[in-house]
Amino acid sequence: MQIKYTLPILAVAGFLFAAYTVVNSNKPIPVAAAVAPPSSAPFKSFIAGAGIVEPKSRNISIGTPLPGIVKTLVVKVGDKVKAGAPLFYLDDRDTRAELAVKLADLAKAKADVGIEKASLVDTKTLSNLAEAITDRRAISSEELLKRRNALLISTAKLDSAKALVQQAEAALADTQTTLARLVIEAPIDGEVLQVNIRPGEFAQAGALTTPLLVLGNMDQLHVRVDIDENDAWRFAKNSMAVAFLRGNRNFKADLTLAYVEPFVVPKKSLTGDSTERVDTRVLQALYSFERNQLPVYVGQQMDVFIEAKDSSDNGGAPL
Amino acid sequence: MNTLVRCQFSLHDKLKLSLAIRELKTMNHIAIKMLMGDKGKYLGIVMGLTFASLIMTQQPAIFLGLMSRSYSFISDVGLPDIWVMDAKVQFIDDIKPLQDTELYRVRGISGVKWAMPMYKGLLKARLVDGTFQTCNVVGLDDATLIGGPPVMLEGKLADLRRSDGIIVDIDGATDKLGKPSPIPGGKTIPLKVGDSLELNDHRAIIVGIAKVTRTFQSQPVIYTTYSRAKSYAPKERKLLSFVLVKAKPGQDLTELTRRIRAATGLAAYTQKEFMSLTYEYFMHNTGIPINFGISVLLGFIVGAAIAGQTFYNSTLENLRQFGVLKAMGTSNWILLRMILLQAVLVGTIGYGLGVGLTAIFGYSMRHSILAFKFTWELLLFSGTGVSLICIFAALISIIKVIRLEPAIVFKG
Repeated sequence: MQIKYTLPILAVAGFLFAAYTVVNSNKPIPVAAAVAPPSSAPFKSFIAGAGIVEPKSRNISIGTPLPGIVKTLVVKVGDKVKAGAPLFYLDDRDTRAELAVKLADLAKAKADVGIEKASLVDTKTLSNLAEAITDRRAISSEELLKRRNALLISTAKLDSAKALVQQAEAALADTQTTLARLVIEAPIDGEVLQVNIRPGEFAQAGALTTPLLVLGNMDQLHVRVDIDENDAWRFAKNSMAVAFLRGNRNFKADLTLAYVEPFVVPKKSLTGDSTERVDTRVLQALYSFERNQLPVYVGQQMDVFIEAKDSSDNGGAPL
Repeated sequence: MNTLVRCQFSLHDKLKLSLAIRELKTMNHIAIKMLMGDKGKYLGIVMGLTFASLIMTQQPAIFLGLMSRSYSFISDVGLPDIWVMDAKVQFIDDIKPLQDTELYRVRGISGVKWAMPMYKGLLKARLVDGTFQTCNVVGLDDATLIGGPPVMLEGKLADLRRSDGIIVDIDGATDKLGKPSPIPGGKTIPLKVGDSLELNDHRAIIVGIAKVTRTFQSQPVIYTTYSRAKSYAPKERKLLSFVLVKAKPGQDLTELTRRIRAATGLAAYTQKEFMSLTYEYFMHNTGIPINFGISVLLGFIVGAAIAGQTFYNSTLENLRQFGVLKAMGTSNWILLRMILLQAVLVGTIGYGLGVGLTAIFGYSMRHSILAFKFTWELLLFSGTGVSLICIFAALISIIKVIRLEPAIVFKG
């Protein structure tokens, strides 16, 4: 074979293969598309914040005034309740037993009044007889005094028996109040959002990390927007705001400001993690929106954009 | 005896060539004849140049491959235009986390279409057999999953929404995170969709296998959602590694990065800038560029020495023929052209063979762990190198030929 031709042919082939490799191996990397298109602000200059949906009444964590075992639960999640409607009953056997004792006490006290009344009549009659005698020699002065004093004692005893009735009545009312307190009632008209207690479980009194029951008025929802304290100066109350549902930016709602909480609070990360991290402090603004605009649930997060003055001229506030 | 034959040869040629001595075509033919007359020398020159060209493309290709791995994670995340991070970050793996609220501050800057959080960190994965493997865990925005792996081999990116779901890269799944073989010393069993891992004492279920560009440290890459990554990560006050920003259409990126920097005090780089930041860090803080530079230089020197020396020898051998041509009145210009032609010929062949061999090397290694990146700039680079060697070799030969006395033909 002619070396004269072999080498140049090999060289050309080599170069072509190199060129092919260069073209082939340097293709741009494909770009992973977003699973859901992200929402973006419809304003030129704006503040962005994370919002969490809550009822207008806020979430009411229902507590119990007395600790005890839950006897019956009359509501379930999603029930609409009127103010004053019972939510759950605590075990009341001992209180009812106490009530019976108190009732008996009252009956006894009332009976005692009857006795005292009768003995008063007795002493009064005897005293009247003695007083009626005009001839002082017919009765000793000692006897007369004895009868007079017996009357006074009987009157006092009747008053004491009457007071005991009052005492028994008060004790009865106390037990009845306790009985009433074992029925936990809805403080407002609203919807049961969460039930964390079941019959047979012990309901602790006091502030709990997991509320026994969560109640809220769902007629009007609010979205609570966290605005970073560094951005708080840009926030204006009358500016436009819009909220996007996470996961689908086609669901959005115009917001109207309900109120701003004037107290700046530490931001809690909304991960639901038990060890919540405090990052920074945030100004919380509450906005209301038309409920039928969004298929939204209480507790859901939203991306909120609030229009703000263009701060690019003064360069914002570098840290 | 030898001289006699040569004399006869040249006399014979003299007769043959006198007819068209000024025709360049013939002169080129003679030049090629001279070059290829001695096959050994011809092969020697070509091999020297092939070797030089091979070293000058293959070594820089490995170098570029290694360097591109330093920023491969950034180029894999193709969607965002701008990366926002702590001002003191030096390169991609130098993570200085931010507060979560910085995300919303960046989102609130005009010109930003969207901004998404990203967690990137090294976490320990506990494997089935109890060994630990450090993994690169990437947390993507829960809703949009922006920043995901470029190619999904199994499963979908949206599967990350399943509880405890993670996506691992194919290299990690087959190699470092693989289950031990039932036969001692056998190959590991690759992880499949549905297998579980333990990340920092948390359960993680594989819902997908992805293909990612290898990174510098070649650690397994695990993708999950941002909130899940935060629960996997050790408890720290700050966990947000990067904010990925997409500019509004028509927004000037340089202007936007300036605005982000001014408004938040954080560092904002375009994708290109962040890549070059990472690249520069490796260039200035590792010995890699020097090592490869020395290899390339050695290739150049050895190639130049072999090719130049052999080429010069071959010219020396053909010095009589050049003398004859000179005696017959061939101008120096034509002789120069003849030598240049020879140089260009061997140069082209050597270069073609060299880059071809590099390409074959790269092609055969394409599925291996080797870093290899062959770009058109490298073709130009080695072309320039080979040209320099050829110019050097031709130059010393040309000087010899130009200084040649035609009378040498008749000397003993």
